[in-house]
Amino acid sequence: MNCDELRDEYELYTLGLADEPERAEIRAHLGRQCAVCTAGVRQARQITAVLGYAAPEASPSPQLRKRILASVGAEPRGFQWAPVWAVAAVLAVFAAVYFGVSERRAVEEVAHLRAEAASQGAELARLNEALAILNGPETLEVSFGEGKPQPPRGRVFVNSARGVLLLASNLSPAPSGKAYEMWVIPKGGKPVPAGLFQSAPDGTALHIQPGAIDVSATGAVAVTLENEAGAPQPTSQPLIVAALAKPA
Amino acid sequence: MMLLPLVLVLDALGGGDLALRLQRRDPQALAELYDRYGRLAFSLILRVVRDAATAEDLVQETFLRVWNRAQGFDAERGALGPWLLAVARNRAIDYLRATGGRERHAFDLEQTDHPALYTDMERDLLTSDSARRVKAAMAKLPSQQREVIELAYFEGLSQSEMAERMGQPIGTVKTWVRAALKRLRDDLGVAVAA
Repeated sequence: MNCDELRDEYELYTLGLADEPERAEIRAHLGRQCAVCTAGVRQARQITAVLGYAAPEASPSPQLRKRILASVGAEPRGFQWAPVWAVAAVLAVFAAVYFGVSERRAVEEVAHLRAEAASQGAELARLNEALAILNGPETLEVSFGEGKPQPPRGRVFVNSARGVLLLASNLSPAPSGKAYEMWVIPKGGKPVPAGLFQSAPDGTALHIQPGAIDVSATGAVAVTLENEAGAPQPTSQPLIVAALAKPA
Repeated sequence: MMLLPLVLVLDALGGGDLALRLQRRDPQALAELYDRYGRLAFSLILRVVRDAATAEDLVQETFLRVWNRAQGFDAERGALGPWLLAVARNRAIDYLRATGGRERHAFDLEQTDHPALYTDMERDLLTSDSARRVKAAMAKLPSQQREVIELAYFEGLSQSEMAERMGQPIGTVKTWVRAALKRLRDDLGVAVAA
């Protein structure tokens, strides 16, 4: 058979559905490095690969990652703080006793370490949430601030099941008593508050508004500078506007 | 505390030399691979086996297989994600056949997940945009055409097995399959054009 006759068989072949003699013919063409069939089958294999997205989205348990890494002899890096802090807390108690520090002081030290551990844990949970939004196959990504002279720049990621992630740079730390407030703006509707945040001293910011969101009904994500208690509606011009939908 | 997450998040966005690091047996590379494709592999496998615990076992098998066979992968020209998904699909369909007492049909699944087959593909094949296009393209198919593609992709049925399952003549099933593949090629061909 010639390549023309095999043209409609490539996807059948990569899906495992090709009948004989077409299947053997394609194999023979591939075996002799036929350029037409090699390109055709590669293209078909790409279509077959993306069909995996037709599966409904689902999430494995968090333990699966640890299981897989443990099975190759590795501990997951960066997500195992609790045992470290537990050991540190125990060592602090022993050190306090050994050096004759009062029991009260030891208890304070343990409380401090526990607070540190809780803070680390919260930060890592936030990072996990951010990565989950980034990794979501259906996550919509929008850039903002491109081409402006001195703007905050960055990207907004919107996942219908998990929420909104904002990554920004060039966002100066808010003045004392002020905070940045994110807004989710429905198409044709009023802005809905989506959390307060501060930027880091270097102007970077990572803010997450967790929770389900109707992406198709959302027109834009914006950020304004507000009093640190937040506002029910924006009271200043937006510093960031990331339009999810083009204006009609 | 703001800086640490940002650095990690931006690192996770980059591509880099993941395949090379897998070949050097860097466990952190496997962690990154899992963070990129673990959820997609789990979703695919769960759709096939319809049991979360079994799906997790098969996801683990999938990542170990990729880990153990990474040496056969072309780190410069290869596409890790599509290869991993092919392995995931094959693990799941193999399981389905073994537990369902079905024999493998003539097409040998092993030959669809050889790492050398996944070279010179689009670098950004598995993106949220592809996901949207696939879901939209599948939703547009008439129900019988969507069903035959799902039976082929998620259950690994041959066309004669589909005909039996659906109680339809084999010729009708073949017509549906060809029509569905033509529509998918038209809808997705541009998205995945090499």
